[in-house]
Order: sequence, then structure tokens, then C-alpha cells
Amino acid sequence: MNERGVPRRANRAVHRWRLPLTWLALLLVLTVGMAELEGVFRWIETDSRQVIYDRADFVTLLGRHLLVVMVASLLATLVGVSAAIAVTRRAGRDFLPLVAQIASMGQTFPPVAVLALAVPVLGFGTLPIIVALLLYGLLPIVRNTLAGLQGIDSSILEAARGMGMSRGQVLRQVELPLAAPVIVAGIRTSVTVNIATAALGATVGASNLGDPIISGIVNGNTAYILQGALMIGLLALTVDSTFERLALRRARR
Amino acid sequence: MEAPRHNRVLPALILAALVAWLGADLVSVAANRIVPGEGIATLDAIGWGGMLAGTLAMLSVAVLGFRPNPRKYRIAMAVTVATLMALPAVLALAAARQADSDMPQARLGIGPGFWVVLFVMLLAMIELRTRLGGSRLNGWALMFPVLLSWWLCLSWWLEPLALLQEFRGRSDQFVAAVLYHLALVGAAVGTSLLLGVALALAMRRFPALQRAGFGVLNFLQTIPSLALFGLLLAPLAWLAANVEWLSAIGVRGIGWAPALIALVGYSLLPMVRNTFVALSEVDPGVIDSARGMGMSRGQVFLQVRLPLALPVMLEGVRITTVQAIGLAAVAALIGAGGLGGFIFQGLGQAAMDLVLLGALPILGMALVADALLGALSERLRPGGAK
Amino acid sequence: MIELFDVTKRFGEETAVDGISLRVESGELCALVGTSGCGKSTTLRMINRLIEHSEGEIHIDGQPIRRFEEDTLRRRIGYVIQSTGLFPHWTVARNIGLVPRLLKWSPERIESRVDELMALLGLPRETFADKYPDQLSGGQAQRVGVARALAADPDILLMDEPFGALDPITREALQDELRELQARLHKTIVFVTHDMDEALRLADKLVVMDAGRIVQQGTPLELLHEPATPFVESMLGGDDRGLKEASLVTVGERMLALGPRLNATARVHRDATLRQALAVMFREHADRLTVIDDEDIPVGELSLQRLVGNTRHE
Repeated sequence: MNERGVPRRANRAVHRWRLPLTWLALLLVLTVGMAELEGVFRWIETDSRQVIYDRADFVTLLGRHLLVVMVASLLATLVGVSAAIAVTRRAGRDFLPLVAQIASMGQTFPPVAVLALAVPVLGFGTLPIIVALLLYGLLPIVRNTLAGLQGIDSSILEAARGMGMSRGQVLRQVELPLAAPVIVAGIRTSVTVNIATAALGATVGASNLGDPIISGIVNGNTAYILQGALMIGLLALTVDSTFERLALRRARR
Repeated sequence: MEAPRHNRVLPALILAALVAWLGADLVSVAANRIVPGEGIATLDAIGWGGMLAGTLAMLSVAVLGFRPNPRKYRIAMAVTVATLMALPAVLALAAARQADSDMPQARLGIGPGFWVVLFVMLLAMIELRTRLGGSRLNGWALMFPVLLSWWLCLSWWLEPLALLQEFRGRSDQFVAAVLYHLALVGAAVGTSLLLGVALALAMRRFPALQRAGFGVLNFLQTIPSLALFGLLLAPLAWLAANVEWLSAIGVRGIGWAPALIALVGYSLLPMVRNTFVALSEVDPGVIDSARGMGMSRGQVFLQVRLPLALPVMLEGVRITTVQAIGLAAVAALIGAGGLGGFIFQGLGQAAMDLVLLGALPILGMALVADALLGALSERLRPGGAK
Repeated sequence: MIELFDVTKRFGEETAVDGISLRVESGELCALVGTSGCGKSTTLRMINRLIEHSEGEIHIDGQPIRRFEEDTLRRRIGYVIQSTGLFPHWTVARNIGLVPRLLKWSPERIESRVDELMALLGLPRETFADKYPDQLSGGQAQRVGVARALAADPDILLMDEPFGALDPITREALQDELRELQARLHKTIVFVTHDMDEALRLADKLVVMDAGRIVQQGTPLELLHEPATPFVESMLGGDDRGLKEASLVTVGERMLALGPRLNATARVHRDATLRQALAVMFREHADRLTVIDDEDIPVGELSLQRLVGNTRHE
């Protein structure tokens, strides 16, 4: 790059990340300064004495929500990508049809139903939610990783083998980089669904951003509902737009 | 490389099933609805004979599947279906053996062992169907005897089953909830089908709409359902309070109105995207030759473009429907009722069988909708299964 | 040197290659020709063990190939395929440097080798080094494919219809380049093609295959003179095969060398093929051509009689 290129590049980077950064900024501002908006919420919810949700502060709620989603998504990515790799290798090929079938059929299961079915087996609390999210989040990751790996032009793989790359080298240097955009899209779907489903976790005893909504519904406090909904919405938008930027950057190379 | 083919899938599945069958609690018995159930292992639940029969059936599937040929696969499939048919009878047997005249309130719960065996045998069935080939419809035809057997056992011999007792206690409510759920989904899918096709056509006419349209729809799809329901609550409550005719038709901050709006909002993206893509991706050569033969614009659209696009559009209806069935359950949280009501009520009371009563039909509806619409779109594909 | 002894390949019940024996000398370009499904690609891919042979033995420089570890063997053998198989996520330079990197050459050595190869294949470094494969034309991509195969300077090159997907003009240009490259590098090349003209242009040795067997092998001229079966004859173009032969012989080989007192006005270059000379005669309505060299100096004469190989009447 020439001297002029560097600042222009940096500018463009800021420009490109403007949307995710905006959502993130809004999210953080709300997290810290929800109480400052008391006037607005009082105007919306005129009946209640209490208009700012205060059973836990929003920083804690956001932190718990993020923790659950991140742990579940990280594990799901790790397990899902490895499983898809395993069944596309020679040793695991027997299992490919079944795994592909489960991954596509499992998408049919509504997340609420999965969450509900997890409770009788796993019990109430944060851990069952993580497990339920992990299991459900696996499906889009497995499906996309399979699609990404199987979508690679077979002549590229043949050339790679023909040039004398070992199977591991083909996987690391050719298959995974080429499948990466599709895999990342799967992770994006998985995380987005997880953020939404984790909020439902508030009904099975996990405390997170779903809490204000549930408590607002139970107590008929619209302000609570709005606060929770805004936070979850902003969190989802921040994460989703970040993934979108990542995908665009990859596409542009 | 061409050594005799083994298939390790069925042995692996059966191993998991056998561990659960022999090692985990098959059922549980509770004296009444409140106390937690006490787990009972397979041997105690159904005795030596039943346990051995089950073990042998499962082992035979594993053996047949290890060095397969089409004939062995077919036999294994028959054994698998028979096992699935026998599973409700296993519950009935367990119920009969545990029956105790001192505890007329006793309830039979389904234990983890039973769930695992059921799940694994369903997987074995999927695996066998994939290996045997055959159409989607055939696979569902095989489910028929299984469902029949379950239905028979449930109606005659499974009185103490907790799930059934929950159902008996509210059968009217259950039927109403199923119908309500279906109505909500149907209304949402129908509305979004009309709106979606109109929007897709408009986008094809006015390309300027595309970016904005897809932008808004993508945005909507990103907002988690619980949040969207919540965000709709305030404006709808305000409208209901201030616009008379809206409140007259039943629009409230909670209830069916926000549920329907949110469901339509979520459904629009897949609907519009699939319709748009389907209409846009018809081979331009085909359109060109149709025009060249002297077909009018309208004829080209109705006789060529639309029929060719239909399978992909139906795919959109399928995605939308399956998604709406799940989301409608969440809507119960904002008082929309439906099967989700049982789930959240059950979670609130820690009554797991009530949760199952809500969740299992939702799962079933999603699977059936997926299968039916999938088969339909396959059938409509040019040269598809007839 | 590559030797195949009675090599057979079965896929399940089906026999793809049926007991073929073949010997490709060092520095020789051997073309395997046949219709699709005749087993020529399978034969090629058995040599670098992308497909394992079922029976028989394959030797490279006297050693059975099964004695080498697969990847080691392949790194010693260049491989070029029709669809190029370039890695779309790597730049041209990185694609070319693939095998040297696998062989753990030093970065400086890889870079200089890549430079050398790009120059050799007419791909200016400044234009192409940082491009990605999808930014190249078909001909450029296949040049990169050849450069990649040559990168570690293998003795053997396997080429599977390398020019099959290119337009006729690019294909001919690349055939000429391959011929020039081969004249300088003297690789042992096995070249699979279904295009007999391509095979005749390039091959030192021609092997015609049908239904998994070798029908005939020999030099292009041997096959043209004496096709062993009607199948080979039809592969060689039936009655047109005289013209194919004419394009294998140069004017210089048939002309009558004379002093510079030549009266024919139509001219032809000494290195032109007899086929081209015939075309000139046809166009100029002449039965005699003056043969010239690079400096336009007349060096001989070619009559129609001589062209067709009839020298008795002169």
C-alpha cells in the first residue's frame, strides 16, 4: 500500500464497522444508564410505582446472558465442527448419512420445545439451559460445516492430494479455509437462535435479560418488558451485524 | 479399500440403546402428582422375559447391520419397527406389574432409559431408511404401524401413565389449545403468504425496494421472539386504548394480536426471499424462448415462470410454517394461549408431564408440517416423484 | 522412466484397466489417447497412487511405487488436471509455491523459484503474482497449473487433459509452449487426451486405449502408417489421416536442396509442415514452392510430387 492508502484503509474499516459499533454503543449506554431514562418509562407505564427493573442490575443480566450464550456457542462450534469433520473423513464416513439426516431434521424442532424437553431431563437452572442451547445450536453448525466441506470442488481436492499434501494438510490448508464462510454462517445462525432461546431460559429459572420481560408480563409492567426487549434486541443486532461484517470481509478477501 | 464393507453405525446406536436398556431406569412410579417418582430398572419393571426379548431384538439389529446387504437391512428394518411397536406395550406391562390397589393415585412416569431406547430406535429407523433408499412417503408409511400401536396402548392399557393423566384432566383444554395453535399458525402463514408474494412481486417491479425491503425483514428476523413480543406490547396496548374499533375486534397489548403481528413479521423474510429468488432464478433461456414463441407477458408469468418457481416458493411456506409452530408456543407467554400455555404452566408448577403434554404435540406438528410440505414441494418439482 | 507391468484396476465388479504394460523412457512425452471411459485417466492416476492398482506392478526409475510413501511419491511427480485445481483462496504465487513449501524449502528459495517459473510460463510477476485464480483467464490459469506442477522440478509430469477446457486458439498456443518447454526441460511426461491432433502434435510415443486395454502403441508416424485396427484408424481420422501425417513432417525434410536459381514465386518456410505447404499450393494454384529460411533466402524447392513422397520422376 502507498502512504495515502493506509489512512484511507483505516477510515474504511471504521466505516464498515459503523453499524455493529453503533448497536454495541447503544447496548452499553442502555446497560449502564437505564435508570437515567426513568422519565421516559414513567410516561409509558403510568400505573406502577416502580418503572426501572431493579431485581438485578442490567450489567449482571447482560453478563449472565452473554456467558450462557458464549459458553453454549463455543462448545457447539467446537463439537459441531469436529463432528462434521469426523464424518467426512474416511474413518467416519459410515456415520455421514445419519448425522446429515439428524442435522436437517433437527432444524425442524422448535427451540421452545427443545428447551421444554430439556427441563424434565436436566432440571431447572443455568446448566440445563447451556446444555439445551448447546445441543440445539449444534444442528446449524453441523449442517453448514457439512455443506461447506462437501461443496468444495472435487478437482481442487484431487489436485491437493495429487500435489502430495497429506490429509491433514488438505484439511487445514484447503478444506477448512474454503468452507469457512459457510461454517461462519452456520455459527451465526446458531448464535442468533441461542440469544433468543436463552431469553426464554428466564422461564426455567435462569436469570438473564429475559427476566425483566417475564417479570413485566407477570406483573403487568410494560416498562419492564420494554427494557428487557430493548436489551435483548440490541444484543442480537450487535452480534448479528458483527457476523455480517465478518462475512463481508471474507467475501472481499 | 474395497475390503468387505462394514457399517458401524447400527452397532454403535444399539450399544447406546442397550446401555440405557440395561443400565438406566426404565420407568418411575409416583404415589401422586406431587411427590417425585421413584425410578425402576428394566428388570424390575418388566421381568426377565421382557428384558431378554428386548435385548435380543436390539442385538439382532446390530448384528444384521454390521455386515449389511439389502436383504439384511430389510430384516433389520422390520425388527426395528417391531421394537418401536412393542415399546408402548413395555410401558403397559410395567404399569400392570406395578399396579397396586393401595395407591389408586399412582402415576407411571417415563424414565430416561425408555426415552433413550425410543430415541435411538428412531435414529436406527432413519439410518435404515437412508441406507435402503426409497421415498420420503415410504418412510412415513413405516411410521404408521408404530403410531397405531402407540395409540392402541394409550387408549386401553396405559391408564396410570402420568402424561395420559395430565391429558385426561384437561382433554377439552388440550383440543382447544391444539386448534388454537393451528389457527394462529394458519392465520400467520396465510397472511404472510399473501403479503410476501405481493412484496416479492413489488420488489421485482421496483428494484429500489429490494435493498430497503430485505434490510427491514432481515432486521425483524434478527430480533429475538420474546423481545419482539415485548416491543409490540406497548404500541398495541396504546392503540387498543385509543382506537375503538381495534379494541372492539379484540386487539390488546397481550393476546392474539401481538402474537399474530410478530409471527407474520418473522414469516415474511423466508417467504419473500424464497418467492423472490424462485421467480428471479427461472432460466432466462426458458423465458426468452417462451416470449419468442409469442406468449404474452401474462402467459409467460402464469404458464412458465410461476409453475417453475412454485417448488421453491413452497419451500418458503415450509420454513415459515415450521418456524411459526415454534414461535406460536412462545406467544403463550404474552397470553396468546395455544400449546405453549401448557409448557409454561407446567414449568411454573414444576409439572414435567404437563410440559411434555405441550412440547410433544408441538414437536409432532412441526415434523408433520415439514414432511407434508416437503413432500408436496418435491412432487411439484418438474420430474419429481409422482 | 515409468514402467507398467500387466497392470489391472477393478472397481468392484468392473474392470477399468485390464492388464496393460507400458514403458515411458526418461525425457519422453507419452500420450494416452482414447474415448472417454477407456481407462486412460485411471492409468494416469495409478502412477501417482491417487488410485491404487489392483494387480501388476508400476515402477518409477526401476523402483515399485508402493515402496514410496504416497505423499512423498506425489511430491516428486508433477500433476496437472483439466480444471486446474488451483486453490481459489490462494494467490497465484502461493499456488505455484505449494509443493516447495510442502518440501520445506526456505522462503527465499521458494520465492526465487516462483519468480523463475512465472517468467518461464510468460506470467509477468508484477501482474500476476498477487492475483487470485478466479481473476485469471482459462489459459492463464492453466499456465499457473503447469507452473505449480513444475515447481519442485520433478522428473515426471502427469497431465490429465490439461488443455481440454480451453478454446482452440489458446489450446494451440499452450501446446506450442509445452513443446518448447519440453525441448528445454526433458521431463518424462504422461499426457492424457481424447484429442488425437493434440496427441500427434505433442507425443514422442502414442498409446491408443480402448475398453481398458492398449490397442496400439508406437511413434505417431508408425501409427499413421500402420494403424493396427479399424478403431485406431478411425481415431486417426480415417481418410483424413494423410493430412495428419502431413502435419508431422516439415518442408525441410522433403524439399530438394538447390542453389538460389529458383523460379517458383510461391514461397514457404523450411520449418512449415507439409500440410501448410499443401495449403499454400492450393491457394496459389502452384505445384511448386520455393523454400526459404529464416533470412528469407531460398534454400530449396518443393514440388507436389515430392510433397506426396513420390521422388521417382525427378
